[in-house]
Amino acid sequence: MVGTPVLFIAIPLLAAFLIPLIGMVWKESVRIIPGLVLAYLLVLAINLLSYVTVNGPIVEVIAGWAPPIGINLVFNAFSGFLVTIMVFMGLLVWLYSYRFKSNVEYEAARKYFLLLMMLITGSVGIVLTGDIFNMFVFIEITSISGYALTAFYTGRDSAEASFKYLMMGSIASVMLLLAIMIIYSQLGTLNMADVASKMHLMDPKLKAVSFILFVIALGIEAEVFPLNGWAPDAYAEAPGPVGAAFSGIVVKAGVYALIRYTYTIFDLSGAFNLLIIIGLITLVVAEVAAIRQEKLKRMLAYSSIGQMGLVLVSFGIGTKEGVFAALFIMLNHAIIKPLLFFSGSYLVYHSKKKMISDVDGIGKLAPLTSILFTLGAFAIVGLPPFAGFWSKLSFLMAAADSNMLLVIGLILSVSVVELVYYMRVVNRIFFFKRTTSLLTRRPTFNAYVVMIILGLMILVIGFYPDSVSMYLHNAANSLFDKSQYIHSVLTATIQ
Amino acid sequence: MLTLILLLFLGGAIVTWLGNKLSPVVGDLLFLATIIIPAGMFFTGVTVGEVTHLHALGLTLTWGLTPLSYLFSMIVVGLGILLAIYAVPFMKGKQKTGAFYFNFTLSVMSMLGILVSKDWVSFFIFWEIMTWSSYLMVVLNGKDVQRVGIKYFVFSAIGAYAMLMAMVIMNSQLGSFLLADTFNNFQHLTTGNQILIPILLLVAFGVKSAMMPLHVWAPDAYSNAPMAYTGLFSGALSKMGIYGMVLVMVTMINQLPEGTLIRDIIAWIGGFTAAAATLWAITQDDGKKLLAWSSVGQMGYIIVGVAIGTPLAMLAAMFLVVVHAMFKGSLFMVVGAIEKQTGTTNFTEINGLIRKMPWTFISALISVIALAGIPPLAGFVSKWMLYEALIQNNNYILVILLFFASTAGFLYCYKFLHGYFLGQEEPEWAHVKEAPVAMVIPMVLLALGNFVLGTFPQLIFKPIDAAMQFAGYDATGGRLWGESVLFTEWGDVVTLQPILYAVLAVFVFFALFLWFKGTKGTRYVSTKDISTSGELPKEWENLTFKVNFMQPFERAIEPFLKRQIDKYYTAFGNGMEALFEFTRRIHTGNGQTYAIYAILFLALLLLFRVNLFG
Repeated sequence: MVGTPVLFIAIPLLAAFLIPLIGMVWKESVRIIPGLVLAYLLVLAINLLSYVTVNGPIVEVIAGWAPPIGINLVFNAFSGFLVTIMVFMGLLVWLYSYRFKSNVEYEAARKYFLLLMMLITGSVGIVLTGDIFNMFVFIEITSISGYALTAFYTGRDSAEASFKYLMMGSIASVMLLLAIMIIYSQLGTLNMADVASKMHLMDPKLKAVSFILFVIALGIEAEVFPLNGWAPDAYAEAPGPVGAAFSGIVVKAGVYALIRYTYTIFDLSGAFNLLIIIGLITLVVAEVAAIRQEKLKRMLAYSSIGQMGLVLVSFGIGTKEGVFAALFIMLNHAIIKPLLFFSGSYLVYHSKKKMISDVDGIGKLAPLTSILFTLGAFAIVGLPPFAGFWSKLSFLMAAADSNMLLVIGLILSVSVVELVYYMRVVNRIFFFKRTTSLLTRRPTFNAYVVMIILGLMILVIGFYPDSVSMYLHNAANSLFDKSQYIHSVLTATIQ
Repeated sequence: MLTLILLLFLGGAIVTWLGNKLSPVVGDLLFLATIIIPAGMFFTGVTVGEVTHLHALGLTLTWGLTPLSYLFSMIVVGLGILLAIYAVPFMKGKQKTGAFYFNFTLSVMSMLGILVSKDWVSFFIFWEIMTWSSYLMVVLNGKDVQRVGIKYFVFSAIGAYAMLMAMVIMNSQLGSFLLADTFNNFQHLTTGNQILIPILLLVAFGVKSAMMPLHVWAPDAYSNAPMAYTGLFSGALSKMGIYGMVLVMVTMINQLPEGTLIRDIIAWIGGFTAAAATLWAITQDDGKKLLAWSSVGQMGYIIVGVAIGTPLAMLAAMFLVVVHAMFKGSLFMVVGAIEKQTGTTNFTEINGLIRKMPWTFISALISVIALAGIPPLAGFVSKWMLYEALIQNNNYILVILLFFASTAGFLYCYKFLHGYFLGQEEPEWAHVKEAPVAMVIPMVLLALGNFVLGTFPQLIFKPIDAAMQFAGYDATGGRLWGESVLFTEWGDVVTLQPILYAVLAVFVFFALFLWFKGTKGTRYVSTKDISTSGELPKEWENLTFKVNFMQPFERAIEPFLKRQIDKYYTAFGNGMEALFEFTRRIHTGNGQTYAIYAILFLALLLLFRVNLFG
C-alpha cells in the first residue's frame, strides 16, 4: 500500500486551506496546487483499487477509536470504484477550467479552486465514510461549496439558482438530522456497519419512517423527482465545468448514499420497489422536460437527471446484474455528460441566453468541438458502437432477467424522446444555416485535451467494454456482500 | 477475414474522412480504395460457413456467413461498389463530401455486419450503426432536417428498440443471444412471448422495409438523401428489413399455431402497401419523390412474397429483392445524373433530355421497363412468379390488388420516362450535357443487369436456391423454379423466348424507323413555339404538358389520398409535445413550490408507508 483512504479527505481539505495562503506568495499556485493534489489522488485511488481487488476491503480507523465507537473509512471495490471516478472527473474538471472564463483573474481563480477542492473532499468523503453522522458532515461540506459555486458568476440568475439550491439543501439537512436522530435513539450507534447488524432490532414503524426521511434528504442530493427542482437552475447558471462536476461527482455521491442505505443499512423489502418507482418517475419527467427546453445547459441538466433516474431503476432491480448495469451507467454518465457540458459550453460561449438555437450551423466554425459534442450525444442515447450502448444493453438484460417487461417498454419509449432532443441539437449544429452573428470561441488547449480524452474513453469503452467490466463486477459483488462489509468494519483494528 | 474486412471498412471510413480534409482528390481515391479493397476481399476470401468469435462484456459475438446472408451481401457489396464509383463524380464540388464518404462506407460496413451477424447483439450493433449512418445521410443536405430527419430517426428507433426488447427477452428466457438458438428453441418460450417476440421483430423489420403503416419516413428520407446514396438506401438498406423478415417468418411464425393468420395479415399489409404507394407515386411531380414512393410500393410486393411463404412466393420475393436493387439503383442514379446536370428534378421544369443525355435515357428506359414488370426484363419474371404463387395459394383477391398496383404502376413509369426525357426541348436546357463517364457506366451496367436476368434468370437461381435451402425450404430439392410454368427444368425461360424475340424485333424495327425518319429534316420545337388562336404564350407560362399531368386521375383518387396516416402521426407527435410542455411546467422555477413538493413527497411516502414497506 502506498497510502491510506484518509488521504483522500485530508489532502484536498488541507490544499483548500493552503491555496489562499500560498497564493499570497505565488499567485499561479492557486491553479497548480489543485491539479497536483488531484493527480496524486488519482494515482492513489488506482493503486488502492487494485490493492483491494486482491486483498479485500481496507477499513481505516480514525483517531484511535475502533468501530463502532470511532469513525472509520471503508475503501472497498464499490466505494473505491466511485472514488476513482470522482477523482478522475475532478482532475479533468481542473484541467478544463485551468483558464476558464472568469478564472483568468487571481481573485476568482482562488475562490473557484478552493471551492472545487471542498466539493471534491465532501463528495469523496460521502463515499468513503462508514459513519452516518460523518456522512451528514460531508454532505454539508459538499452542499455549501455547491451553493457557492452555483453563484460563482454573481449575477442575478446565478444568485437565484444558488438560493433555490440552498433552500432545498437546508430541507435535506433537516430531514437527514431527523433520520439520524431516530436511528440513534433506537440503536444507540451511528456506525453504518453496526447499525446494519442491529437493524432487525428496530421498531418497523420507525425504521420505515427514518428510511423515508433518508430517501427525501438524499433524494434532494441525488436529484430525484419531485425533489430536483433546484438542479436544472443550478446546472444552467453555474459555470460549465461546475455543471460537469455536479453531474460527474456530486450526484454520484448522492446516489451512492441512497444505495448504501438501501442495500446495506436498511433491510426493508419494499425499498427496491420504491427505488424503481421514484427512478422511473424521475426518468420520465426529466426526459420529457428536456425535450421542451430552449437552453442548452438546461437540456443537458434534465438529461443528467434522467440518467440518474435510470441508475436508480437499475439499482432497484436488486440483482447483481442490475447493480452492474447501474454502475456501468454511472461510469458512462461520468464520462459522457462532462464531455457534453464541456463542449456544449464552448458551443454557446458567446451567446447571452445560451439558447439551443444559438448553435445553428456552428459545425463549420468549430468542427472539433461540434464533433465531440455529437460523439457525446450519440454515446449518451446508447447508439452503438459507443460507450452508452453497453450500459443500456446490460441494464435491459438485467431487467429482462427479472421479467420487468413494462419497465423495459417504458424506458425504451423514453429513450426515443431522449434521442429526439439530442438529434435536434446535432441537426442544428451541422445541418442548419448560421443565423446569428455570434462568434465562436476556440477552446483552450487544456479544454481540447480534456474533451479528446473523454471522447477517446467513449470510443475505448464502446469498442472494448471489457476494459472496465472487471472493476464493475468487483464493485457489484462488494455492494452485495453485506455481511462481509459488516464483518470487515467491526473487526477492524487500529493500525 | 470477416473481422478484417469490417475493420478495413471502419478504418477506411475514418481515413477517408480525414484524407478529404487534406485534399478532395486524396479523399476520392481513399474512398474508392476503402470500398473496393474490402469488397474484393469479400468476393475472394470469404466462404460460406466461416465463423469468427469475439468476446465483449461476457457475451460472445459470433460472425459468419450463411447462404441466405451471402445472397443479400452480394447485393450490398455489388451495389456498394457501383454506387461508390458513381458517387465520386456526383459529389464533386459539393459540400460535406467527407461526411458523405464516411457515412457511405459505414453504411456498407454495417449492412455487411448485419448479414454476417450470427447473434442478436452484433446484429443490433450493426443495425444501429446502419441507422445513424443513414440518418446522417438523410439530413446531409440540410433541407427540412428537423421534420424529415427526426421522423426517420424516431421510426428507426422504435423499430430498433422493439428489436432490443425482443432480444433481451429471448436472452433471459432461452439463455442465448445466438440467432440459431433463439430460432430452434422458440418452442420453449411461454405462449405470450411466442406472440410478443415475432410481433416486436416484425415491427423492427417492418420499419426498415417501409411496411405500411410504418412507412411514413421513407418517401421523405429517400428523396432527401443524396441520390448517390439513395440507390444504396432503397436498393440495399431497406432489404435488411426483408432479410430480417425472412428470418422471422421462416423460423418463428412457422412454429406458431396462429402463424397462418399472421402471414395473411402481413401479406395483406404488403399488398396494401404496394397499391397505396403506387397511387402516391403517380401523383408526384418530383422524380425523387416518385421513385421513393415507388420503392415503398416495390417493398410491398416483396413483403407479400415473403409473407405468403410458399417456395415459389419466396423465390419470387428473393428474385425481386435482387432485381429491385438493380433497377432502383439504376433509376436513382439516373435522377442523380439529371440533378447533377440540370440542378432540378422536377418534371414540370425539365423537358426532352433524350438527345442530350442518351445513355442516361437508355438506362432509364431499361430500368423502367423492368420496374413496370414488362417482359422480357427481370421485373416481369419476378412478378409473374409472385402472381403464380398467389394463385396457387388461392389468394385471388390479393392477386387482384397486386395486379391493380402493377397496372397503375405503368402510369408513374411512363410519367418518369416521359417527364425527363421526352417532350419538346426547351432552350433553357440547351446547355445540358451527358453526365460524366464514371456516372454513366454504373447505371448502364445495372440496367443491363436487368436485361441479363430477364433472359437468363437461372444465373441467380443457384444462390437463391442455396439461401432458401438454408432458410428451411429443403423440400424443393434444389429445383424451386420447377414450381412455375415459366421455366424449363434447367431454369431457362424457354417459354419466354418467342415473346422475347418478338419484343426485340419490335424494338429494332422501331429504332430503325426513328433513325430513318430522324435523318429527314426533323424540326425540334420548344413549348413556346406555338400559337393557339393567335394567342402568344407569355414568358412565364409553364406550358410543359406535365403540369397537372394526371389531373383526372388524381381527382379520382383524391378521397383516398386524403387519408394519410402521416397526419395522424404528426397530430400524435404534437399532442405529445403539448403534454411534455405541460409536464415541464411542474418545474415552475419557484423555490417555494419546490419546497412544497419536498414536503408533499414526504407526506405521500409516509401515507403509503404501509403499502411500501409492510
